[in-house]
Amino acid sequence: MRIRFKLDGQDVEVDVKHTDTLLKVLKDRIGVGSVHFGCGEGSCGACMVLINGRLRYSCLTLAGYVDGKEVTTVAALARDGELTEIQRAFLENDAAQCGYCTPGMILTAKVLLEKNPSPSDEELFDALAGNLCRCTGYIPIINAIKSVSRR
Amino acid sequence: MSLIASGYLTPTNVQEAVSLKRKLRDKALVVAGGTAAVQLISKMIIEPQAIISLEKVPLDYVKIRSNSVEIGATTSIAKLIQSRGLPNALKKAAESIHGLALKDMATVGGNIFTPAPAGDLATALLSLDAVLILRGGRGMRSVPLSNFYRGPLQFNIKPDEILTAVKISRPPKLSAFLKQTPWKYSGPTIASVSASLDLDRNGRTRRAMVALGGLTTHPYRAKKVEKMITGKKLSEQLIDGAAQQLTDGVEVIDDALASSWYRRELAQVLFKRILYNFISGGD
Repeated sequence: MRIRFKLDGQDVEVDVKHTDTLLKVLKDRIGVGSVHFGCGEGSCGACMVLINGRLRYSCLTLAGYVDGKEVTTVAALARDGELTEIQRAFLENDAAQCGYCTPGMILTAKVLLEKNPSPSDEELFDALAGNLCRCTGYIPIINAIKSVSRR
Repeated sequence: MSLIASGYLTPTNVQEAVSLKRKLRDKALVVAGGTAAVQLISKMIIEPQAIISLEKVPLDYVKIRSNSVEIGATTSIAKLIQSRGLPNALKKAAESIHGLALKDMATVGGNIFTPAPAGDLATALLSLDAVLILRGGRGMRSVPLSNFYRGPLQFNIKPDEILTAVKISRPPKLSAFLKQTPWKYSGPTIASVSASLDLDRNGRTRRAMVALGGLTTHPYRAKKVEKMITGKKLSEQLIDGAAQQLTDGVEVIDDALASSWYRRELAQVLFKRILYNFISGGD
């Protein structure tokens, strides 16, 4: 089947199988670099994207689901080379070590702060529960997100 | 729609979804949030000829009335948490599912089919005596959740049926849910316990429902324990005695996450915490 969707603002058309995951299509077919395969079962968050603005595991989303929708990866957040506040905070706080989890962490932080600009620790840990950092650099990540939340 | 043999199908209402399911039966996989269903495909457990996605079927609702709660099958955990007036056990089970994306994707209906070490909502719903509303070629059918699990990934649902809602009638006055995961904010369920009680005027248990999750592929009701505590006034002695029967005759999962011994002990601890809390006046 042929699906059409917007990927980071650009129109994309691709032939997929009904059983293909969005992760597979983005990574292997289209060559998106910021969407990573980690666990394949919705535990690690390395594959996260926004679909119509909502946070989704692309490994648990079938490609057919995005037909006619807008997919946003972390690569589309910066405008004209200008990083967003959250991205700058990650840099300033050394919140990326190997960087594999970083796209998912940043997207989760973005969605969380849009919904709840001043999360408590409890709310922050709850929101980030679906993102694993195998370098275990959680403290800088939490510090980065807290530095841009309104307290 | 008559020519469809395979593909990604997006019916827009229940009738369309049912007619697709009648045609395709077990060749089609029904997908709501995808968090469990898509794993069946990516882990090569099944190879469906078609996907029936419920994304456009309007089953995303929570109706709370004075004496019943009805939840549409595609209601997300995030939406469920926002509903006021949910039975406590269900609320706690929903809140125990962590992670922004998971809460927004996972659905109440999907959770019913999700095996251990997930599917915590089913444990809570089982202890609330929930009934499943199934729609198929021959109309509507109600199946108590306590009569739904037939074995690992085997359910009391016909090939032409779709789960459309979950209903709780006469929600018990007291209910609570506890689960243990390897770390605080996420991770697989090692064991979960959900219990609901109605007490009579003299403080005796009129109705008791106890469900256990994470110990077997799908949650089960501890009927023997329920019998032991029904009609009696709860005491620590009674609770401790009943706790020992929670896993009586049950083959408990033994895997890398936890041994069966550990899971059995843990289930007792969680059960006692819930019931001690009931007698000390909490809920």
